[in-house]
Amino acid sequence: MFKIKKIILGFALLLTGFFAQSQSGSFNTMGDDETVLYRMNKQVGQFVKRFNLEEDPFGKTLPVTDKKYHNNKLRKKMLPGLFDEYNPRTSGELRKFFIDDVTSSKNPVFLNFHDKNWYAELSVTFLAGGDEVNIILYLTLEDENLGSKWVISNVYYSYFPSLFPKIDTNQSKNRFLHPQSHELDFMNLHKALEDPAHIEYYASGSYQPDFLTLFFYQMKTGQLKFKEINTVKFHFFQIPNWYFELSWFNRNENNSGWLISNLKYIDEKQKSELIKAYKLCASGK
Amino acid sequence: MNQILKILSKVLLASLMLTIVVGGTTSCNSKKKLAKERAEAHAAEVNRAKRDLNNIINGETTWTLDQQAERVAAIKAKNWGNADVDDLVEQAEETISKKRAEAERLAEEERLKREEEARLRANQSEFAVIDNQLASIADATSVDEANMLINTALNQYATPDIPVLIIISQAGGFNDYDRPTTISKFLNYLKDKKQYKYKVESVKRDNMGKITEMELIVK
Amino acid sequence: MKKLSYLLIFVIGLGFTGFAQDDLSPERKQAVDSLAMEKVRDLSKYISIIGSKETPWSEANRVIDRAEELFMQGSEIGVSSLVRPEVSYYGVRKYLERLMRLNYSKVEISWYNIEYVSDLQKQPDGTYVGVITIFQKFKGYDKEGKLIYQDTTKKDITVYVKRKETQIGGRLIGFWDVLLGDIRVKETSK
Repeated sequence: MFKIKKIILGFALLLTGFFAQSQSGSFNTMGDDETVLYRMNKQVGQFVKRFNLEEDPFGKTLPVTDKKYHNNKLRKKMLPGLFDEYNPRTSGELRKFFIDDVTSSKNPVFLNFHDKNWYAELSVTFLAGGDEVNIILYLTLEDENLGSKWVISNVYYSYFPSLFPKIDTNQSKNRFLHPQSHELDFMNLHKALEDPAHIEYYASGSYQPDFLTLFFYQMKTGQLKFKEINTVKFHFFQIPNWYFELSWFNRNENNSGWLISNLKYIDEKQKSELIKAYKLCASGK
Repeated sequence: MNQILKILSKVLLASLMLTIVVGGTTSCNSKKKLAKERAEAHAAEVNRAKRDLNNIINGETTWTLDQQAERVAAIKAKNWGNADVDDLVEQAEETISKKRAEAERLAEEERLKREEEARLRANQSEFAVIDNQLASIADATSVDEANMLINTALNQYATPDIPVLIIISQAGGFNDYDRPTTISKFLNYLKDKKQYKYKVESVKRDNMGKITEMELIVK
Repeated sequence: MKKLSYLLIFVIGLGFTGFAQDDLSPERKQAVDSLAMEKVRDLSKYISIIGSKETPWSEANRVIDRAEELFMQGSEIGVSSLVRPEVSYYGVRKYLERLMRLNYSKVEISWYNIEYVSDLQKQPDGTYVGVITIFQKFKGYDKEGKLIYQDTTKKDITVYVKRKETQIGGRLIGFWDVLLGDIRVKETSK
């Protein structure tokens, strides 16, 4: 009984200790409240460590042997602080369900830097013939030699899909090279080549345009020029049946820094479709 | 009378014989007893010797190594021709020589340690002077004062470019260093950082007594 | 699904980040982390000296040289503010010289006592790379001593750590070469 009481007391102390920090803080005693800066998820890595409960409130890594390390009861208490408080999707019941799932005593889920299924999404401004255009770049981590690196895995530029509209079955009716074309030295091919708008109709039924190659081509030929990166966010797919998005919130309050900005309960099939879009060109995954 | 004499002589003879017989048996008994006592004493001595030897071999004695050696020599000198004892004597001699060797080495180690400690103490007072000088640069109240102290300090080094090594960790029994720097850069670093949080670990000097290499450790 | 979660936990168990993969003892890892942090503190100190109007011009220039030595060649400082969210890029030297020439009569640069050190991850060539986050408060005053500008910035500083060896006095010295890399300077919300 005493032991249990002791544990409860210890637990309560841990809770009050968590995120309660000294205000004495700054080098020059600026008198500013530093709580906000402590509470802020200052790096994506810090978000991950807090998600897993692998560091103390001051950012010091907890040893694996520490009682707090990966402690699911504590995680349950502190995980709500990792969500955007102002988004109904990330501040209500769904958040509670998500937290229940990742802190379940049977199958707790932790995140890891080296997990495969998380992606960065960059909104980037380019110049296309003098006009500003917005292009989304997807990046993913890839192992190489002694370490790893971020690689561009896909691109979304609205202009590219417009070049390849969905094949119209009516239009495709007459757009093919009949099986005896070879006997005529493919003299009918000119019809295909003189109608570039529908040229893909003459490709294999399984043909898929590769937008990343198109993007590289436009960069190489100077049709696109980089201007600036506008925003960066991350997509996490490694938690069974859940997807969440991580965004940067520059706010002068405790709920700031890298926070979960979107949360979805989705089935794995749907998820794999989404992943396909992000990692289209990433190798070995 | 003759009759009496005859009887008397017979009695005398008989008594003499008796004396001889009885006296003879009495002397034989005491010899056996003596022999038995001697055998027992020898066995006890052998046992004692064995016990002492075993104690020596097993390191269960409070005797000094000299006392142990004396005892073993004494047992050996008895030359009992007892195979067990001979075996134990051999083992004990070996044990003693091993312990002597160990003691000699420990004594030398101890002597060297004392010498090194003495040297370290001497060094520490020497190093403390350097530490103080370095700390004073960090504590200088103005750039001019710091520059003056740096110029004075530099006199003690062979050149402004002598290497300064900074040990950041000695975990696992070997030194991890920061990128090597030079004394002039390091002194200016102290001026800029206004903080001396090191301790001199070693210095090398040239014939002129000027420092040619310095190792510091992060406190 | 259960299997998947188990697998996930297993992978996490194996892939404990950073130095753990190299069997570097926690004590040595700690020492390297502290060394990296020290380089960032050195930079903070240099920035304060360079920014201070009381620093003689020659001293400021010397300190700029020293500060530059902390960096990997070609490192850039990417700066954005609340009013100018687009990132402006500066070379290290240019950034520091700009700081020296700021047009205030008095400047106060102070650092919050909050430092966040990321795990060190290996890049393909084996060099470790980490990010240290610090916060700076800047105040600029005019001749009358009136506060005319202030901001708080978050500085995410790239740190490269590589194990190297060199000969000194015939001795082979193994050292940790810590160099700073690109820095992202972002103004925090007021």
